[in-house]
Amino acid sequence: MDDRLRETLSAMMDDEADELSVRRLLSHHDQARVRAQWQRWQQVRDLMHSGHTPAEGVDVSTHVRAALDGRSGSARQRTSAKGISPAARWRWPAVAMVAVALVVGFGAGAGWDSREDSAATGAPEMAAQSFPDKDAAAAPVREVALQGLDKEQWEQMSQYLLEHAQHNSVGAGRGAVGYARVVSAGNGY
Amino acid sequence: MRMNTLSSRSQISAIPALLLALLVLMLPGVVVAGSSEGEANQWLERLVPALNMTSYQGVFVYARGDQVSSMQIAHRYRDGVVEERLVMQDGGSGEIVRRGVNVVCVLPDRGRIRLDQVIPSGPFAEAFTRQLMPISRWYSAEMVGEDRVAGYEAVEIALKARDEYRYSHRLWLERTTALLVKSHVRASSGDVMEQFQFTSLEITDNIPDEKFEIRAGGREISRSLAADDLAADERAAETSPVARMNGWELGWRPDGFAPAAAPRTGRGQVVAFSDGLAAFSVFVEPAGRLNMPKGASRIGATTIYMHALESGGREFLVTVVGEVPPETARKVAESVRVQDALALEGSDS
Repeated sequence: MDDRLRETLSAMMDDEADELSVRRLLSHHDQARVRAQWQRWQQVRDLMHSGHTPAEGVDVSTHVRAALDGRSGSARQRTSAKGISPAARWRWPAVAMVAVALVVGFGAGAGWDSREDSAATGAPEMAAQSFPDKDAAAAPVREVALQGLDKEQWEQMSQYLLEHAQHNSVGAGRGAVGYARVVSAGNGY
Repeated sequence: MRMNTLSSRSQISAIPALLLALLVLMLPGVVVAGSSEGEANQWLERLVPALNMTSYQGVFVYARGDQVSSMQIAHRYRDGVVEERLVMQDGGSGEIVRRGVNVVCVLPDRGRIRLDQVIPSGPFAEAFTRQLMPISRWYSAEMVGEDRVAGYEAVEIALKARDEYRYSHRLWLERTTALLVKSHVRASSGDVMEQFQFTSLEITDNIPDEKFEIRAGGREISRSLAADDLAADERAAETSPVARMNGWELGWRPDGFAPAAAPRTGRGQVVAFSDGLAAFSVFVEPAGRLNMPKGASRIGATTIYMHALESGGREFLVTVVGEVPPETARKVAESVRVQDALALEGSDS
């Protein structure tokens, strides 16, 4: 394969090949080599664009030929449209596979399901978020942001934290954890 | 037709076989689950004595919310006496030293909170460690596996809350001594809300005396936990658990939370409740000049719920603080009823 043919192939990749060059490429005696070169470049390009690698053995030449023969408008556009079709065609199955994997993953991962369930019924995790209403009849728990407290209010709050931590340090028999809570409350927030 | 009966017959005979196969498959699972719970409970029984009777030194970190603190600890058990020294590693240089019933606290000069309130002014751990709660009634215990914490082999135990009124816990106990070396408080979603973990640890009976001496300079406050007070407090807790609820009562609390012999704080109307693992405190006092926001605040696993209560034309502030979900704190706070406003007012002064 000569440089001109390579150039044509390269131009095809970029949707810039003219009709004459494409015809010449398609009439090349060693179609297998042309195809192999095309596929290699396509792979490299897909890798560089972090796309999905097209499978081996895709022959675009028939489509290109058909496009050239049955063209009615701008040959170049038709060619280029067909030129990118293999990649597009191979992306779809890949997307489908990812989708299937996700579906399987969700289905198989029973832990995710239960986690979703428990998150819906259980306690909220983040202080900054509002608390979900567990009881449909009860109003949601009103949230008070600690950041919004003034100095006196915070001191009062800390006082409660401290006293509770004291109970906790001895009450639950947790040893160092209890101390940690005491110190944590004492440090201020 | 023939085909149908044949296939249905084979189906019928297949069902018991399938069931049998299922049973055979499940049986080891059941046995394993049963023994796992038994094993976990055996470990838990060792947990509390281990906290006092193991001698060790190290550094642990504690994180809740976005706050992380670390402390250095030396703990020695010798001739039946617990000696302990804790040194804060971040912020001000505070120290807590305990020898038996004597607690000395060295306070950092800085900080918005005076640390003398930290000193447990009531019975220390002893009174509590004796009343071990049957935590397996409120939590299902399960062996999770083995792990390594601060260089020590540890067993990991999951304590899953049996109802939504409490959080689940994970405990890591050192293999030979059952010392608690790591713990998590988790929401039902599995998210870790509070964690405690030794980052360096040495379990040894060989800790020199100077490790238990106060070294930080600063204001010293010492208190002795007099035996008389201790006994009185214990009696109060045993004979009448609601003895300290002077003038008010709790209409509801989650199953398993029993009044604990809380240290007397001088503020009067506070009662602590514990299910053996989690605890919450209930404060009831006349509303002061300070207007506190009503609702729930959270720091990690700790909820502070404030609730305004009116009784006999007087305003009261009910505060529930504990390692419980906000919904639990709210239900507890809203169930408080003031019976004798005067008794409450009097105790506050």
